[in-house]
Amino acid sequence: MATGALRVVCYVNQFFGQLGGEDKAGIGPQVVDGAVGAARAVQQALGGAGTVVATVICGDNYAAEHAGSATVELVTLVAAARPDLLIAGPAFLAGRYGVACGALCAAVQTQLKIPAVTGMHAENPGVELYRRQVYVVQTGSEATRMLPEAQRLVALGLRLARGETIGGPAAHGYFARGVTRNTVVEASAADRAIAMLLDKLAGRAFASEVPRPEFPPVAPPRLAKTLGGATIALVTDGGLVPRGNPDGIEALNATRYGAYSIEGKTRLDASQYDNPHRGYDTTWVKQDPHRLVPVDVARELEQSGAIGKLHETVYSTVGVATTLAQSARMGREIAEKLRAAGVDAVILTST
Amino acid sequence: MRLELRWSDVDELVTAPATRLVGKRLEVDLEGLSELLSADSRLARIRLDLAHPGERCRIGRVFDVIAPRAKMDGGEDFPGVLGAVTRVGQGRTSALAGVAVVATDQQTDNVGTLAVIDMAGPNAALSAFGRTHNLVISAWPAPGADRSEYLAAVRLAALKAAVHLARAAHAVEPDRVEVFELPPSPRVPAELAHLPRVAYVFQIHSHQRPTGLDEGILYGDPVRRMLPTIVHPNEVLDGAVLRGFMGRSVTTWTTQNHPMIRTLYAGHGRTLWFAGVVVTVAQATEPERVRSAFLAANLVAYTLGADGAVLTKIGGGAPHVDMAQAAAQCEALGVRTTAIVEDMSTDGSAEGMLLFDFPGVDALVNVGSSQEPLTLPAVDRVIGADDLAPKLLGETRITYGGLCGAIEQVGSTRVMAEVR
Repeated sequence: MATGALRVVCYVNQFFGQLGGEDKAGIGPQVVDGAVGAARAVQQALGGAGTVVATVICGDNYAAEHAGSATVELVTLVAAARPDLLIAGPAFLAGRYGVACGALCAAVQTQLKIPAVTGMHAENPGVELYRRQVYVVQTGSEATRMLPEAQRLVALGLRLARGETIGGPAAHGYFARGVTRNTVVEASAADRAIAMLLDKLAGRAFASEVPRPEFPPVAPPRLAKTLGGATIALVTDGGLVPRGNPDGIEALNATRYGAYSIEGKTRLDASQYDNPHRGYDTTWVKQDPHRLVPVDVARELEQSGAIGKLHETVYSTVGVATTLAQSARMGREIAEKLRAAGVDAVILTST
Repeated sequence: MRLELRWSDVDELVTAPATRLVGKRLEVDLEGLSELLSADSRLARIRLDLAHPGERCRIGRVFDVIAPRAKMDGGEDFPGVLGAVTRVGQGRTSALAGVAVVATDQQTDNVGTLAVIDMAGPNAALSAFGRTHNLVISAWPAPGADRSEYLAAVRLAALKAAVHLARAAHAVEPDRVEVFELPPSPRVPAELAHLPRVAYVFQIHSHQRPTGLDEGILYGDPVRRMLPTIVHPNEVLDGAVLRGFMGRSVTTWTTQNHPMIRTLYAGHGRTLWFAGVVVTVAQATEPERVRSAFLAANLVAYTLGADGAVLTKIGGGAPHVDMAQAAAQCEALGVRTTAIVEDMSTDGSAEGMLLFDFPGVDALVNVGSSQEPLTLPAVDRVIGADDLAPKLLGETRITYGGLCGAIEQVGSTRVMAEVR
């Protein structure tokens, strides 16, 4: 953690590095001692708190066309200047520049363990790409007021470099990183709820405290063949496991799923199964597993020819307090295995 | 219906030969009280401890917290569980401010539902129970008492203790009298008819786990087949609704001092018209959930004639979605809603905060994340959890959900999950 006057490196594109306009956008990574171009505003904002020891410059086209290698080269140049803090941009609404700033900040943070901050306009594609990893300060769309924008980047950057507590997005003007932290507020939740309801009833603006989740709708694909020729698999997030839970599927917040053979079984014997799921009353499923995984009926349909074949593996996990990331991964893996096994359709039972 | 809560302030809790209130000092006959509470064949042994604000003391294994209340004029206390089944919410009730009864659970098989209370240090301020003088009940099950019988006995002991303490206030003039009076919902004076009519949909239990036969929740009823119904808010404040046996992030104490009902009363006749309370349970299956959601919305929209409704939940994910479905049904009937949710993310990501996305259910208040880690400092004394004392004495890592009173889902909490 740095104290006293900080060593700061700035990153700018060819235009803000005063090498030229679009005609110079192909210029590769280079470094200049001290502050040049837009970095001078950073130096001015720093005042006595720090010194811009180097300005790293790269052309927008070069950064976009050699995305991976440009970042590697730039990280090397940043590392050589031994900074306490990297300030990239601000990139305003310049898309290639914003993406390059975000990529460099992310790489410098993780590889060099040096704090980094950048700034952009809300519509810069770099915001959506990097705001979860990097502090991106919200700026205007154009560089008409460079000094005040640089001051806000520097203010947050100094806090990061000094290891100080970082408040919420509103306090410091950065784009929400999509993480939650408990904080203590003045009004009770009940008071806030009634105030919000009265605003909503009166048609006044209100600010929900929880962002709407993005659950993109998934259109069910059409079954390409008749049911009579299709292989059908049974999949559940209701937690059915063989007795003893051999895969150790967690009772909640699951990260694992199991693949269980039903080969040769016309029914599931309740005594051979269990259910660790902690999100619902599992009494009835333990009593008769078919209430969750209908092997009995599916076998009858297979016998009668109503479906072509019942897939001999049942996939099961526990769907309660499971993170979206884990759900998506498990779903993807199960789908890949089903596809590889020639399964045409799935009956997914949830609870 | 008119209820008087007659408050006596207590700033000192001491053991004494007889239970009485002297000024602001509550003297408790711990021996006599212990004898009274021990007369339960489901319990083998009882111990009572006192814990005070500012003391470097940690109460472990908290099961529930009860506010000391006692009906005057022959009324029944906690009807259906302690007293006979009869209506409460009217008449006079003695109440003690600054004192709480803390029931602990000495069986270990479900540590996930238990919590701690810190009487000093940075976390004391997060919970109402870090600021009250606490009578802590530790009780051990008699041989043969099953889990549900044991918990029923522990809760009954806590209710008896709460009544025993509050009766000491019968003999004194209260420090203040709080009056809760709400006319029948449709009778709005013409000059107040312009106020928005607001109802509260109060989820009082989740059927993720079936209730025991002796797990009285609404007037002693284990609410097993309960459909949405209307109660008077005073009934909730006066002991008709108790928390079930599994319900971290909600205490009976908070229901007795219900923050939402208090806020609605505070605004009643000024910024809103308090149209009434609908109690619901979170259901276990989809048809039950759908049925319950539209029946609750029907009561809100067609019976109470509300313009707006606020909803709260009890417990985890299924109750969270159940509440949201009821809110969506309200919105579909033109009733604007807000709901109080807990941050449901298990990995601290904003995208995991919410488990639903229903049209119109867009005004949400949150009571923080119960999964976020919290560090408790070392203390000098642990009570209520002798066997865990070596572990709980030192600096301890828990979560917000493990600090009793930090997250109260009915809305008294000031903890909020901020998206950063």
